[in-house]
Amino acid sequence: VLRKSMGLTLTIRTVSNIPNLSNWARLKHCRHLQHSTSGARCQTACRSLHTSAGLCHSDEEGAERERGKDVVNVVYVDRSGRRIPVKGRVGDNVLYLAHKHGIELEGACEASLACSTCHVYVSDRHHDKLPEPDEREDDMLDMAPLLQENSRLGCQIILTPELEGMELTLPKITRNFYVDGHTPKPH
Amino acid sequence: MLSRSVARRVLGSRVFLSQKCGLSSQAAQREKVIRSREMNENEPRPLYMDFQATTPMDPRVLDAMLPYQVNYYGNPHSRTHAYGWESESAVELARKQVADLIGADPREIIFTSGATESNNISIKGVGRFYKTKKKHVITTQTEHKCVLDSCRALEAEGFHITYLPVKSNGLVDLQQLEESFRPDTSLVSIMTVNNEIGVIQPIKEIGHLCQSRKIFFHTDAAQAAGKIPLDVNDMKIDLMSISGHKIYGPKGVGAVYVRRRPRVRLEPLQSGGGQERGLRSGTVPTPLAVGLGAACEIARQEMKYDEHRVSMLSKRLIDKIMAGLPDVIMNGDPEKRYSGCINLSFAYVEGESLLMALKDVALSSGSACTSASLEPSYVLRAIGTDEDLAHSSIRFGIGRFTTEEEVDYTAEKCILQVKRLREMSPLWEMVQEGIDLKSIKWTQH
Repeated sequence: VLRKSMGLTLTIRTVSNIPNLSNWARLKHCRHLQHSTSGARCQTACRSLHTSAGLCHSDEEGAERERGKDVVNVVYVDRSGRRIPVKGRVGDNVLYLAHKHGIELEGACEASLACSTCHVYVSDRHHDKLPEPDEREDDMLDMAPLLQENSRLGCQIILTPELEGMELTLPKITRNFYVDGHTPKPH
Repeated sequence: MLSRSVARRVLGSRVFLSQKCGLSSQAAQREKVIRSREMNENEPRPLYMDFQATTPMDPRVLDAMLPYQVNYYGNPHSRTHAYGWESESAVELARKQVADLIGADPREIIFTSGATESNNISIKGVGRFYKTKKKHVITTQTEHKCVLDSCRALEAEGFHITYLPVKSNGLVDLQQLEESFRPDTSLVSIMTVNNEIGVIQPIKEIGHLCQSRKIFFHTDAAQAAGKIPLDVNDMKIDLMSISGHKIYGPKGVGAVYVRRRPRVRLEPLQSGGGQERGLRSGTVPTPLAVGLGAACEIARQEMKYDEHRVSMLSKRLIDKIMAGLPDVIMNGDPEKRYSGCINLSFAYVEGESLLMALKDVALSSGSACTSASLEPSYVLRAIGTDEDLAHSSIRFGIGRFTTEEEVDYTAEKCILQVKRLREMSPLWEMVQEGIDLKSIKWTQH
């Protein structure tokens, strides 16, 4: 029940991102999204219970102003080279942001620093702006194939305003590489 | 046709059996050649005075290894059963033993097949990982062949390598090293103890220098680990190669130390299932790793005693030879050296002929990996030895199991044979007459 309610919260958040919708239309959209949840995964963004339902109740104009400040534009470059611009928010986790937008960033251990499947290359300009990796993150990165100097684990990157315009390139393979082209579904 | 019993006695039972088994005549021929080169059963084996080439395995190391050969034979990466768990705990204990020898954390030790592989991993791995921005590597001219060859391989990939010359005492000039630093230098590789002349490089100073410039420092400590005290944090070493069979351990195993803080990243040479932190995939050979660990533990405990004993024996050998013969030159710095490796040049005597004369002592002239070539050692050339002296050099190796009698015998035999060879030498005659050899114009016939 908890999960479902948090899922709903997230759905509402996704919906509330869409501007210029009346509240009634939003609720309808909400329901529509819930049905198609099986395709686009709705994730629990973080482990602690947090209510962002306030967004739904706030004034539309006020919400827009807040949204403008919070928005961090990042670009994902997936394995085929396709660029996918994404509007994230400050505090978003790069891994779950990717999942929300259907990008194939595998997070096998669900952001618990136990694998290297969410390995991404960070654009050089922004690489130094990220905080130093934790020792455990470095350990997991050691095991990622095709490591480069600008490699980081996606699940440990939290968006901040200074990461505006960051490009996250997915490496060609992860530890779970399947030579038959199979891609595992995000958890 | 010889009768069976006669044939067996003449050719040796092995050859006869091979004939009996119907093996090809080529295999039988090979057997015959090997047996003719081997010593007669009645001849005593030569004294072993070549401890830099390899060392006999300490019996305590063998004791530690045997159970893992026949009883606890599980794959240490098998996660699901007791065979795997017990092998894994043995490997982890060995890792700790190796780490304790050099003052590292066990997670920083990776088992390899030997110091050659460790050197390859360090140099090629670091070079290739950082190659987008940093394409310069510094090393010296007296490094081991595998280091120089790895650097040459990198050169073929577009790197710039600086091969630093050494001073006449074999040590690297710190001023020159600092001048050779470039903004795109990623790695400096300088061995701790040279395997041919035994000099100990100023590792602590080099380490601090490299750290101040954020350049990774790799050292080949194959001849040094377990013999002189090493501390990777004190000496600011980022990568270190260790060899098992140089410290009375098994052949075929070694280790590489890869620093975790600040993290040193490598491009792995060996791809596979990601064992050993992804840097060296492949099943870790439990008995060999256990052997290396045991050898390191013994070396750590007995380092002081061994060092004292070896330096005493070394002094004994040098003093005896120098007192008994004129015109003997020790190659390498007399103070900053590991006493167990003595490289002496006997003027007016050819090194190979001296080796053959000292048939019952196992010695070498120059390092084992270059002993097949006819060129004199490049290490001796780098320290500025004259070519004729380079041809006359012999390396004496003293180790844990050398006895005073062996040292005395070697010294006496050496003095005797050098005197004999010098008697036969026309160059020696000329020198005795007072002719300066450098003033002679040699003609071609």
